[in-house]
Order: sequence, then structure tokens, then C-alpha cells
Amino acid sequence: MRRFSRLSGALVAAAVCLGAAAGPSVQFTDTKLKNGLRVLIAEDPSAPPFSVAVTYKVGSADERAGRTGFAHLFEHMMFKGSENVGPGEHPTLIFNYGGSMNGTTNQDRTLYYDTLPSNQLELALFLEGDRMRSLAITKENLDNQRNAVQEERRLGVDNQAYGRTFERIIDQAYDNPAYKHSTIGSMEDLNAANVDDVASFFRTYYAPNNAVVAIVGDVDTQRTLALVEKYFGRIASQPAPSRPDLREPAHAAERRSTIDDPLARLARIDIAWLIPPGGSPDSDALDVLQDVLAGGRSSRLNEVIVRQKQLASNAGAFGDENRGPGLFRVTATLQPGKDPAAVEAAVYEEIDKLKETPIAEWELDKARNNARRNAASALGSTLRRAIMLTEYAAFYDDPNLINTRTDRVLKVTAADVQRVAAKYLTKENRSVVTTMPKAGPGRGGAQ
Amino acid sequence: MSRHQTLIVAGAVALASLTALAQQQQPPPAGTVVMKGRAPVNNEVLKINLPKPREADLSNGVHLMVLEDHRVPQVGFQLLIRGAGGYYDPPDIPGLAGFTASLMREGTTTRPSAKISQDLDRLAASVTVGAGLSSPFATVSGSSLTEHLDTVLAMTADILLNPSFTEEEIARYKTRTRAQLISQRSNPGFLAVEQFQRTIYGDHPASRVSPTPAALDALTRNALVEFHRAHYLPDHAVLAVAGDITIAEAQRRFEAALSGWHKGHTAAPATADPAVVSGKTVLLVSRPGSVQTNLIVGTQAIERTNPDYDALVVANKVLGSGPASRLFMHLREQKGYTYGVGSGLSAQLYRGDWQASMAVRTDVTDPALTDLLDEIRQMREVPVPARELADAKRSLVSSFALSLENPTAVLNNYVTLWIYKLPADYWDTYPQRIEAITTADVQRVAQKYFAPDRMQIVAVGDAAKVTPALKKLGDVKTYDAEGKPIVP
Repeated sequence: MRRFSRLSGALVAAAVCLGAAAGPSVQFTDTKLKNGLRVLIAEDPSAPPFSVAVTYKVGSADERAGRTGFAHLFEHMMFKGSENVGPGEHPTLIFNYGGSMNGTTNQDRTLYYDTLPSNQLELALFLEGDRMRSLAITKENLDNQRNAVQEERRLGVDNQAYGRTFERIIDQAYDNPAYKHSTIGSMEDLNAANVDDVASFFRTYYAPNNAVVAIVGDVDTQRTLALVEKYFGRIASQPAPSRPDLREPAHAAERRSTIDDPLARLARIDIAWLIPPGGSPDSDALDVLQDVLAGGRSSRLNEVIVRQKQLASNAGAFGDENRGPGLFRVTATLQPGKDPAAVEAAVYEEIDKLKETPIAEWELDKARNNARRNAASALGSTLRRAIMLTEYAAFYDDPNLINTRTDRVLKVTAADVQRVAAKYLTKENRSVVTTMPKAGPGRGGAQ
Repeated sequence: MSRHQTLIVAGAVALASLTALAQQQQPPPAGTVVMKGRAPVNNEVLKINLPKPREADLSNGVHLMVLEDHRVPQVGFQLLIRGAGGYYDPPDIPGLAGFTASLMREGTTTRPSAKISQDLDRLAASVTVGAGLSSPFATVSGSSLTEHLDTVLAMTADILLNPSFTEEEIARYKTRTRAQLISQRSNPGFLAVEQFQRTIYGDHPASRVSPTPAALDALTRNALVEFHRAHYLPDHAVLAVAGDITIAEAQRRFEAALSGWHKGHTAAPATADPAVVSGKTVLLVSRPGSVQTNLIVGTQAIERTNPDYDALVVANKVLGSGPASRLFMHLREQKGYTYGVGSGLSAQLYRGDWQASMAVRTDVTDPALTDLLDEIRQMREVPVPARELADAKRSLVSSFALSLENPTAVLNNYVTLWIYKLPADYWDTYPQRIEAITTADVQRVAQKYFAPDRMQIVAVGDAAKVTPALKKLGDVKTYDAEGKPIVP
């Protein structure tokens, strides 16, 4: 078993980053192994668990045509064993020893994480290292997880009201295939995936130089680094994978469509505007804008569209933080009998106000306090800190954003919010999907 | 380091077939969990010091519990008011407690709804009032950065003591809620829970999962005012505070904020057990267009203070709690019938339930339900192997360490003590109590609470396709998605 018993290779670079002076901060070491694996470690002895996060720089945007859903299907394969770990042994050990774990995939990255009592550090690093080095790639494992993933799609998409709406939105809002399809993928493409796809995907994207590992909690940095070297240090690096071209050509005109949904009971309107990649100069102002429109009960959409005008039973907005162009989406579920066109017009009225008038001082305060509160809350969770460190490193090559991100939001002005509203929330730049309930057999007259 | 490989399979029948397979030198079935046993596990349970809250009584009788944690500059609190939950709804307005709680947040005599929202959101603070449809408690909870706590407490007290219940806000609330009552019927999970609770609890308050449109229509301002007056009393309330604050500070600040909240000198509100359900039920909700069948299978089980509680927790852990459980390993990992399957125990002041649930693609409804019921049968009939029992117990005890980074989670354990009047050393002795559970204990409680003649089965799906599978289990009662019986 002790096949990795000796430290191999010197650590290429190690530095200690200190947080911004204001407010609580996360201190961490930032090390790159010889094989390119980036390792971030933050000691926090204040509670007995620790968390490990491993972010691989691959997501559904990297999928080739005819293989939608593959990055996520692959994520499931990562729990089916490796040279020294049996199929399903990883989750079983984590839960049997009092921990929790999971994996999750989006357009841009695939993330795996484990939280355990601090005396199981070696277990977690062994499990993550073994599968990065030697995943078991078999047809049996693939077929087995294909079923589970197809049930996941049925559960989340095909058997739910508005399940198909999201796929229509992204299909309509993007021309570039990278973000045009959903991460869950199509049943047809999931059926087409084969063992060769798994092997090639693993070799290309699951290399140490395409991953970032963070360990946060009641651990000792030097011992942790030695264990990381032991379990990850001999994994061969691979040529850097080519990155998908995520650029989206500017849109010349509004795009619209309507879906009939036999499972829905109430109409819903979804409006999506293209926004720049996360970390862009305008991203922080767009964050504040989202807070003004949809953050909490005092938000404009809730106060005006839901409460005062009573056009919708709920209304929200969400801005993506993608590596490429994201969507700023507004969603409103209509009150029975209301006209979707009237609700849409009411949303645009609120958008126009953002363009015409600076937001109020209290709305800026709200966004600033939310940013401070989120930063403070992250300090209470080893897992949140571990995930943030890996994602900031993977996306922006700047894990210290965990300490500086809040300051960037605090600098946003009312004029910035007004400017980004006018720049991005335009008619040409938007895509609208209306979902209409379609009366099916055996349904009461709900609509 | 052992090279021995252990196969974890679901139940004894599978184990027998695996033994046969091993004799034939064939690989285990696809999806079987294989333990190669090479991972460097630490077999010692991490020793932890469970922090204890400080406790005091406010002058109006509210019991205060404070768990100090100064790592993060924020404070969270939860006020549980016994007697103000949906359990105590009047029979003619089921949901009144929930309506009252929601509308308390919609304005006070000095602050309109929008002003409350604005002031709280501006501070990134929260105050919410809620009352579950079957819960004996209403909950007023809040959180804020430490520096804003006094402002937030003043608003909390105002919301608690001086709700205005204006006709305008009542009308708005009815409009919003009516739409939500329509919307939730598109959710197959909701339809399954609605029928399962009715089947298990009959006309007991725990049967309710949603207010009815009729109750919403019947709601008046007077009903709200009266429910608030009669039920929002400090006498039997507990206030749990966790975070960046000391007991002395908490006592001083809450005493000041709640000085206008006076004792009602009432007896502790009572709860009663639901009537025993005799026989089993097979119930189908017809949902045209479903591509999956949502299934819930379960029985009435125990109240939280029942002596069988620990053993049933362990039995449930083995059978269906988490991805290392038999149900997950068998129905998801081995068979691929479902994305998620699990079981859980709901033990309250009154007799609660045990249930297993999953959503499976329509065409495997029959084999998936058969396998689920067979796993339950094996819990009754076949002793749990020693190693599997040890794994389950270690998992329960070890996972306690994870909760220690969240002061609210730690404090909730002590709130449980207070609500159920458990011994003061209950959590200190928890590891020993779990460790003492034997294979025989697990089998005994499985036989007692997973009894096939009391098993209630609820399915939501494509009636034409799944009725034959359900008919094998008994007479099938079919309902539509509005909850009305369909006469064949």
C-alpha cells in the first residue's frame, strides 16, 4: 500500500497570502507541485472538521457536438473506483467515517468536495489523489451511471413544470455552442457516450495541471502539503487542454419564443440579457444591480411586480458568473389571469428606471452590507472557503479574491449601476421565453 | 493493511447470490460497491468537546439559551413559541397559524411592510416569522452582523408584539398565496407528501401540508388578531441565540427588547398522538404526463422520547440514510432506477412517522417498488451483519464533529433537549448509547416499526402505466392531482 511513501520532487513555489487589512480574512498558502497541481491550504483550528475541494477546469462548455451532458456524466464516473479504491468505496468510506462529500458540474468547472473530522485528512487526500491518478474506466461503470444521470434529468427537467424552459432560454440566448446546451445534456447524447470518450476526457482534463486543490480547517500546513505530495505528486501532467472559444457575437435583435408546458399551472416569463464574463470590470456593478432588482423582500421586482401591482406570485433575477459571457435573467411566475405582455412591460419599466435614475443610497448600503455579510459567513464554513479558494484560483488565477472581493463591491457607485443597466439591459441584447400552461387531461381548471 | 476485498451488497439475498458468484469466480454485478480496503482510514472516533450553551430565564418566562461563538461577527437567534404553530389551528381555518405568522411580517402599527423589508435588507439582516402546518411551534428567527443587532431586535419585538394586519396586506397575501396553492399542484413531490401525510395521520394536525383555498378565502382580520392575541405568549417559549454575543449581553438586550411581552399565565399547550392506522393503503395520484413515479412508503412510528428512538435511528441509518445505506446502494448504484432514494424518521412531541421515498422512471416502477419493499423486509427478517452495524454507528457518532463549525447546529441539539425534556447529559452520553445498540435491537425495532401490515404506499405518476404494479400490493385508491378520488 505504501507505494507513495516518499516525497518526490521539490515544491516549485510556495507563498503565504495575507488578507486585506479590513475585516476578518483568510490566510492561506499557495503552492504549485512539479506536475502543475495548485494547492491552497488554510489552517483553521477553531472547529474539528476540515474540507477538501478539488476543482477541475472542465465543464459542459468543453463538450463536443453530440456529447452534451458528458462532463457531468463523467463526474459520476469519478465515484466508481480507481486503482486502489473500489466502485462506490469513496462515498461509502466518507459517510461511514462521519463525513460528507459530493461532486457538481457546471458549464465551466467540475468540483468535488469532502468534509470530514480532522483525524481523517489522509483518507480524503488518498481518495482524491487515487482517482485523479488512476480512474477505473469500464463500460459497466459507464452504463450504470448513465442510468442514474438520466433519472437526474427526468427528476430535474422532464418531470417538472418549467423543466424545459431553461434549456430553451440558453438555446435561444447563445449562438456559440459552448453555453447553448445544458449541463445535464440530452438523453440522446447521454446514450451515445462511450468508454473511449471517458478515457480521452480523463486524460485531457483530469490532469493535475488542470486542477486546483484546497484544504481548509483543522490541519497542519506542512503535514498537509507532505500528504498532498505523497498522493498527488507522482500523477503525470498532460499537455494543457485547449480552451473552448466562449465569445458570443453581438446580437442585432431581440429573440423571443413561447413554450407550451403540459406540467405547468401558471404562465411564466423569462428574460435573459447577455452580460460579460465573471471578473470583468462591470461584474461588480451587475452584482449590485441584481441585489437592487431581486435581493430580498425590499427588492424592486418583489415590491413593485409582486406586491404593489400583483402581477406575479414571485419574481426574481440572477446574474451568472461564468468564465465566458453570462446571462442576467429575470423570471416571474404570473398571477392567474394576468397577461404575460403586461408583466413583461412592467419588468421593462423597472429596468428603465435603473437606466434613468441612480439607485437610492439605502440600496447601495444593502448591496454593501450583503457583501460584508457573505464574506463573514464564509468564515464559518470550511467547505465554503475551500470551494471559493479553488474557484477563484481556477477562474481568475487569484485565490486572494476571497479577501478582496468584498472591497470591489464596496467601491461600486450608483452611477456604475446606472451605466451597466444602460449598457447591457437593452432590447437587442435580450432573449425572452414565455412558458404557457397547456391544459392536459384530468386537470382542474386552474388557469 | 488488508488486501481483503469486501463486497457491500444490499441485503442477505444479494449476499447469498454473491457467495455463489464468488464460487464461480465471476465479477460482482455492475454497480455493486466494492471495498478494496486500501484506504488509510483512522479508526478512532475524533474526541470532541461539545460546547454547552449558557442558560437563563427572562422575566416574562422565556427560556434563554446562548452559545457563544466569536469567530464570525454575526448573531443568529430563534424564538420558538409553543402553542402558536399550525398544530393549534382552529378546525374551520386550517392554516391560520401560518397565515398569522406570514402576515405579522407584513406591517406593524408603526412600520409598513415595505419599510420593514427595506430597513432589514439595508443592514443585510433578516427577521422571519413562520408556523408549520403541523408544528406545535411558531418561530421568529433573525440574524445580523453584530454591529446591527440592537436595531434588528427592536424591529423583531415590533413585529412580534404590534402586527397591524391591515386589510390591504391581507388581500395582497391572499392573492399571492392563492397562486402558490395552484402552482404547488404541478409538483409531483408535493402531491406525494400531501397524500402520504393524510394516509399516516388521518385527521390529526400532522396530516396537513398546505392550507386550502377555502381556508384562505375564509381568512379575516379578526381571526388573525385573535390568533395572535391568544397564541403568541412567552410562557412556554424558548429563545436560542448563537454567535458573537455573551449570555449577559443577550439577557440584557433581549430583556429590553421584549419588555412589552407579558406572561399569559397559561398551561403548557398539549399535543396528542394520532390515531393508530390499521391496515395498509395503496394510493395512487394520477398525474398525466409524468415520466417518473414518485413513491413514498412508510408507517406511523414513534414520538421523540420513545425508548426505541436510538435503535430506530441506527436501523434507519443502515437501511436508508445517506449514500452508504442499503437503499442508495441497491436502487441507485446497483440498479440505476433512481437519482436519489432514502429514508427518514420524523419523531415529534406526538407519534411521528418513518418513511422511504424515491422518484423512478415510469417503466421500472414495479421492480423498484419490489426491491424497496424487499430491503425493508430484510431489515425485519435478517440480522444486520456486525461490520455494517459498526459502520452505521461510527458514521452517526463521528459526523457529530462536522456540526461543530456551525454554532446554530450545535445549539439546535440543546433546543431539542429543552423541547423534549431530555436528560441534561443526553448529548454527552450519545456516543455510548449509539455504541450500545445491538444487531438484535435493530431487528426488533425493524419488526416493530417496518411492519408490512401497517405499511402505507403512495405513488404519483402515469396511472395507466403504474396501476398494474400497484395492484399487486393491494386495492389501489386513485386520486387526481386536486386530491379528489377518481371513481373507476
